[in-house]
Amino acid sequence: QSLEPLPMPGPDFGALGEEAELVEVEPESKQEILENKDVVVQHVHFDGLGRTKDDIIMCEIADVFKAKNLIDVMRKSHEAREKLLRLGIFRQVDVLIDTCQGDDALPNGLDVTFEVTELRRLTGSYNTMVGNNEGSMVLGIKFPNLFGRAEKVTFQFSYGTKETSYGLSFFKPQPGNFERNFSVNVYKVTGQFPWSSLRETDRGVSTELNFPIWKTNHTLKWEGVWRELGCLARTASFSVREESGHSLKSSISHAMVIDSRNSSILPKRGALLKINQELAGYTGGDVSFLKEDFEFQLNKQLIFDSVISASLWGGMLVPIGDKPSISYNCMFYLGGPTSVRGFSMYSIGPQSEGDYLGGEAFWAGGVHLYTPLPFRPGRGGFGDLFRTHFFLNAGNLCNLNYGDGPRAHLQRLAECIRWSYGAGIVLRLGNIARLELNYCFPMGVQAGDRICDGVQFGAGIRFL
Amino acid sequence: AAEPWPENAALYQQLKEEQILLSDNASSLAVQAFLQMCNLPIRVICRANAEYMSPSGKVPFIHVGNQVVSELGPIVQFVKAKGHSLSDGLDEVQKAEMKAYMELVNNMLLTAELYLQWCDDVTVEEITHPRYGSPYPWPLNRILSYQKQWEVKRKMKAIGWAGKTLEQVLEDVDQCCHALSQRLGTQPYFFNKQPTELDALVFGHLFTILTTQLITDELSEKVKNYSNLTAFCRRIEQQYFEGQEKDSSALAARSAKRSSMR
Repeated sequence: QSLEPLPMPGPDFGALGEEAELVEVEPESKQEILENKDVVVQHVHFDGLGRTKDDIIMCEIADVFKAKNLIDVMRKSHEAREKLLRLGIFRQVDVLIDTCQGDDALPNGLDVTFEVTELRRLTGSYNTMVGNNEGSMVLGIKFPNLFGRAEKVTFQFSYGTKETSYGLSFFKPQPGNFERNFSVNVYKVTGQFPWSSLRETDRGVSTELNFPIWKTNHTLKWEGVWRELGCLARTASFSVREESGHSLKSSISHAMVIDSRNSSILPKRGALLKINQELAGYTGGDVSFLKEDFEFQLNKQLIFDSVISASLWGGMLVPIGDKPSISYNCMFYLGGPTSVRGFSMYSIGPQSEGDYLGGEAFWAGGVHLYTPLPFRPGRGGFGDLFRTHFFLNAGNLCNLNYGDGPRAHLQRLAECIRWSYGAGIVLRLGNIARLELNYCFPMGVQAGDRICDGVQFGAGIRFL
Repeated sequence: AAEPWPENAALYQQLKEEQILLSDNASSLAVQAFLQMCNLPIRVICRANAEYMSPSGKVPFIHVGNQVVSELGPIVQFVKAKGHSLSDGLDEVQKAEMKAYMELVNNMLLTAELYLQWCDDVTVEEITHPRYGSPYPWPLNRILSYQKQWEVKRKMKAIGWAGKTLEQVLEDVDQCCHALSQRLGTQPYFFNKQPTELDALVFGHLFTILTTQLITDELSEKVKNYSNLTAFCRRIEQQYFEGQEKDSSALAARSAKRSSMR
């Protein structure tokens, strides 16, 4: 597990809903003539620009000039509108297409006018947030479009059931290429992990560079974190007590994401592949390791509006150098309503006196079948947010002996597999989170694991 | 009935060579002396994060069985609950007197040590900051030692020592040593024949002051002025800290004699 740095990425004011699709224009009899008629976009006007600089606008609307007929103009204008909205600097964008007036007007000339309303210089927000099994109240202050090129400064303060944190972030996209952007964050995050009797406070700085390559999205990040660990209770095990204290982690990480799903919560189709690696220790600090993990998900729609979904997670942590032990907050954890269901939160694997220490390698997989509620109550409305859900989860978490070869590692991961099956109901909360209520049968339970057989409730963003 | 003292009992303190400071070394030595006097064996384990491992945030702490106890006071209570005590033979008046002298050492000597370590600029710059942050990489070493210094200075302000000068602090040390010297007199221990936790505490602090090299020798000179105190320290060192080596070498000599006589 690791603490999420603030500010958390989340749905932005002005972001598109995931169901937004291109408006299709029904061709009517009269418009057949218009479709074939060649038009030329002569002028593109902008009403309502204040501090926004011209060059970023030009990049987003460049395509509009290339439209050849009226339908094309409408389509390209709509696309430009969506591009302008995703910059996050306009509250509203309206498009007006009219014939050209004036001295230099061509007979087939068109004027396209974008009427925009910029966001205020300072916006505040108050949200409640659902993380993985905890809730928090988040106060945010944002300066959108700070210098006119969609730069953004955000300050977030989060007060939660388990943690209190704050963070400041500066974000700048490349003009004309919004997916290429970088951000700098400074944060302090506090968290409690009762399954390990551990309390953690992270103070850190990170810089991140995002860029797309073909269909994939890459993120390069450097992070420097001052980590302070403490015991949550006097009864914490001595292994956890030995880890108390301060450490400094300086790491470089790279993540690659390919996401073709139609939604991140309860997708109907598409696949997700996320590969993440982190190398710590070569840029300072006293924690050295190489960490690799991946996440894969595949969804396919079946008859009767049901969806079958398969997912696979895995990861490995290799300590580097002569410092043999890695503190528990860098390890992988397994188990819980968002991972292998039927087991208590992060309560699988190596433990000491009831405190779970995490492991250096893990894998977890799940197969799910989502169907609409039986008899489809509330169809077309509220009922559509619910799904019934049958699942089979399995996984393993252990420490590896790095002296042995890969065959021995695979063998260790393949023995003592924990698995579970069951059924339940899933509720989708907008595009943000998901609630589950399941009845689980945990199997393959090893000595030391804590199970939650029977009814288990889960809330979160990322589920196995 | 006395509960058994486990073999793997351990005492945790900071790293001896590079990290530990005068005050923590004194406290740790006091606990070690006390346990030796009770005849309870203990291993000393040095960890860079000992201060943070401790449940109270202070070193030393002992790990006995699956219990963790820190600081001399609670350790004395803990050991008493296990059936070992050094002060059982004292009557109520003597016990109250012992407590009063232990308070004196804690309020005067320990605070003076902390003052010297954290509030005297030369000592802070040349000894304390480099030592305290030595196990950590930059910039964490600086951050942690400034954080600790700020905490100690705040405590000094709360007890009214912030305004004192170094001379005044050394005067207080002198007065404290004078009081201890008077109480000790010519006796071997503070309560005549048997050592108590007060002896352990006084030994811990005075011996550390005498043997730790600081910027100047002013602190150790104050203690050296009282010859019965230095003799006391030497006596306890010989009896409880070189005592083990003495016994084993004596044993070897005896067995060698026996074998040669055969």
